[in-house]
Amino acid sequence: MSVRGTRIPPHLQLPIAGVTPPPTEKEGQRLFPTGNFRFYRPVYRDKTPPCNNACPTGEQIQKYLDFVKHERFLDGYLTILEDNPMPSVTGRVCYHPCETACNRGEHDEPIGIRSVERFLGDYGLALTENPIAAALPTLNGTTVAIVGSGPAGLACAYHLRRRGYSSVIFEALEKPGGMLRAGIPHWHLPEEILDAEIAKLLSLGGIEIRCGVRAGEDVSWEELRGYPAAFLALGQDVGRRLPVDGSGSRGVVGALEFLREAGLGRPVTVGSQVLVIGGGNTASDAARSAIRLGGGHATIVSLESETELLIVPEDLEQARDEGVAFTPNTALARVLASDGHVTGAVLCDATLAKDESGAVVPRLVPGTEREVACDTIMIAIGQLQQLAWLPEYLSDGGVITADEHGRVEGNVFVGGDVMRGPSMVVDALGDGKRAARDIDRLLTAQALEPEPDVEIMPYQGLNPAYFRHAPRQTIPLTPPEQRRASQKVEVTLAYSRDAAIAESDRCMSCGVCNGCDNCYIVCPDVSVLRDARENGHYSIRTTYCKGCLVCVQECPTGCLEKVPELDFDDPADVVRMETAFAPYDGAHAEQSAFTKQLIEDTIAEYDAARASAGGNGKTAFTPNGDSGVRS
Amino acid sequence: MDKEARDVSSCVATAARGLGFYADNVSDYIDDPDRTNCLVRRYARFGDSPIVDRFVYENPRPDWVVLVEETIIKAVNFLRGTPERGGVLVVNSTRDPEYLLKFLPEEMKAKLAKFVVVDAVGLAEQRGSSPWMFVRNLSELALDRMSTEGAEERLAIGMGIAAPLIGALVAATGELPVDAVADVVADRDAMLRGVAHHTVIEFAPAARTPEEAEKPETTQTDGTAPTAAHAAR
Repeated sequence: MSVRGTRIPPHLQLPIAGVTPPPTEKEGQRLFPTGNFRFYRPVYRDKTPPCNNACPTGEQIQKYLDFVKHERFLDGYLTILEDNPMPSVTGRVCYHPCETACNRGEHDEPIGIRSVERFLGDYGLALTENPIAAALPTLNGTTVAIVGSGPAGLACAYHLRRRGYSSVIFEALEKPGGMLRAGIPHWHLPEEILDAEIAKLLSLGGIEIRCGVRAGEDVSWEELRGYPAAFLALGQDVGRRLPVDGSGSRGVVGALEFLREAGLGRPVTVGSQVLVIGGGNTASDAARSAIRLGGGHATIVSLESETELLIVPEDLEQARDEGVAFTPNTALARVLASDGHVTGAVLCDATLAKDESGAVVPRLVPGTEREVACDTIMIAIGQLQQLAWLPEYLSDGGVITADEHGRVEGNVFVGGDVMRGPSMVVDALGDGKRAARDIDRLLTAQALEPEPDVEIMPYQGLNPAYFRHAPRQTIPLTPPEQRRASQKVEVTLAYSRDAAIAESDRCMSCGVCNGCDNCYIVCPDVSVLRDARENGHYSIRTTYCKGCLVCVQECPTGCLEKVPELDFDDPADVVRMETAFAPYDGAHAEQSAFTKQLIEDTIAEYDAARASAGGNGKTAFTPNGDSGVRS
Repeated sequence: MDKEARDVSSCVATAARGLGFYADNVSDYIDDPDRTNCLVRRYARFGDSPIVDRFVYENPRPDWVVLVEETIIKAVNFLRGTPERGGVLVVNSTRDPEYLLKFLPEEMKAKLAKFVVVDAVGLAEQRGSSPWMFVRNLSELALDRMSTEGAEERLAIGMGIAAPLIGALVAATGELPVDAVADVVADRDAMLRGVAHHTVIEFAPAARTPEEAEKPETTQTDGTAPTAAHAAR
């Protein structure tokens, strides 16, 4: 067991003022370790911020916000690229679970994380060279098959490339991008941004996209099994049909099919009176695109009530601004047609109900039928995938079944919508990332592991006194009149450089040290050491810290914790100071003679040392600091 | 924690005096004034012969040591003057006794006859958020901080975690009858819980014969605060 500082060297043992170095000096701290006064020890332990945890790709959001705050944009961009290959895309289209989880929402307003991500993504696209290209490993010769070039497939290819694998992607459509191109309208995600992100990905080398190859027709299940590993990310591109009378008429289209034709740049015809059936984001996108392309009116008819709509709040607000009308709690009962073309619809009051399996069952109110005129009806009530080409036991109701790792069987993984049903772009990106990691594990003969448990920092763990209330930077929007007129004009605009920096500066760095120096400043005992003013560059001088815990109390981010001292049982952690109590040890009682003798001996020794050193002719030293000279 | 330590030593001395011993209860006045949340010491002595050195306020040779706060086990050599295999160490802790023993170096373990661990916090009467005195309301805390030398105790003696500590000490040492000590402890139930629930690790007896160990002439008893005194140099 280590015993430090237990013995004071003989020449310092006296209680003579000026001889013993004070503890504010380095030598004094070594001699008088006061760490044994301590019941708790401050420990730096970074937790997971809620934003990082909420992001399906596991982006280190706190980290890149910190970089942006310090104008280190390249570092911030590289931080995103560790998890997400296409920040320009997610910075525009993501439904930002990070902002929903942001602790700042409890303080004032959540950070505009998506807009900062978009700022960094566009910064990265503007670079002349891809900054990660030079650091990539050489290809190891193994090629993985990927079905679908949507976000899941592209992310998987990207993360496989970062691990040294090459990949071949089979895409059914004539252009890559999957739902990014065929599901998301251009006013949300401009085509040139998507093309640039895909081009950046392909420039890494080792990734081949074969367009016009449909799984099940042009490439079979057996062929896919022939690859060392495969990732199925074919999405769900078949819209659910609505079984009502007249649904076969011309003018009744699937919203998904409409968005695909528009997204691929094919000619589409839209009427001026459009009904969109459905209450989700696809319905919103279809209605807003219909206004742009048809120049008329669009109404969203949903079983959901106004408050139940599954449209993300800002999209809902933008849709209203653009003139989309809403008819909640209503079902389509019948389509009216003349000459095989839609002329109107019969609507009916209804409420949303679900059966035991969770499937939507509309509950119609009899006697409330009414006719409305329309010339186009778009159906946006969910989507599926044709999976007949797969062995029957692998699919279930339009999705591919998999275990908790997303593994179908053997070395075949699945991810994205075809595994989870309709979900977010960022979910698909996360699935691709995890599949790449797990494929790498399998191909290098490692076991698959469950996701590790993380400790999430709650708002209550922060010290909110350190964060003044600051409003969120307003995200600029194009005026509704301009948006309505064009399929190409972007709705949401980018943060300026200053706005991105100001927004990042609002981050509270929940549970992660951001080098604010507060512990360093408040420590009353000079026991916090700092190597560099950066994350995680502090340490506690444990032999001298008295455990007052002022630093823990005053840590804004909550990364400092108090840990009971007895939790540390390493022999090096034991500081036992013999002099901690009563350096005079019985001076007033049984040992007084001994102590007196010790003092006299040492004074004599000191005098002798001075005399032998030549002295300076001054008066003799006396222990109490008195010079001995009387005036 | 001054109050807890003071109560332990006070109850041991009072009970011993009631049983006919010569007894004494002192505080180390160097530690005493306005010190909380740091190391303070309290001493009790009792024996068959009169106490001559009335003004000795430190006990450099404790036989029994009670640590009100477990952390002190890794901080100070509180057994310096204790005879080999003669000491009883009582620690207030919820931890495993073997884990706690890892913090004692061999030369300190050599002094121990018994190592006693008692969860005094758990056994004490739960008042508010915790039975510890020092988290009570500010007025009580202020009184606890003041020097009590020569003063009357304002609060009952033997409350809170002091009671189970006294119980474990009396039961493990066996020098004083449990009932006699329980009579002077305010929280008698908690004291008896301490008697019933504690863990003892016994060490092999030292070179002294058992007969000698059984009838000490002047048992210098140390019902002590966080830590005990130090032996002579």
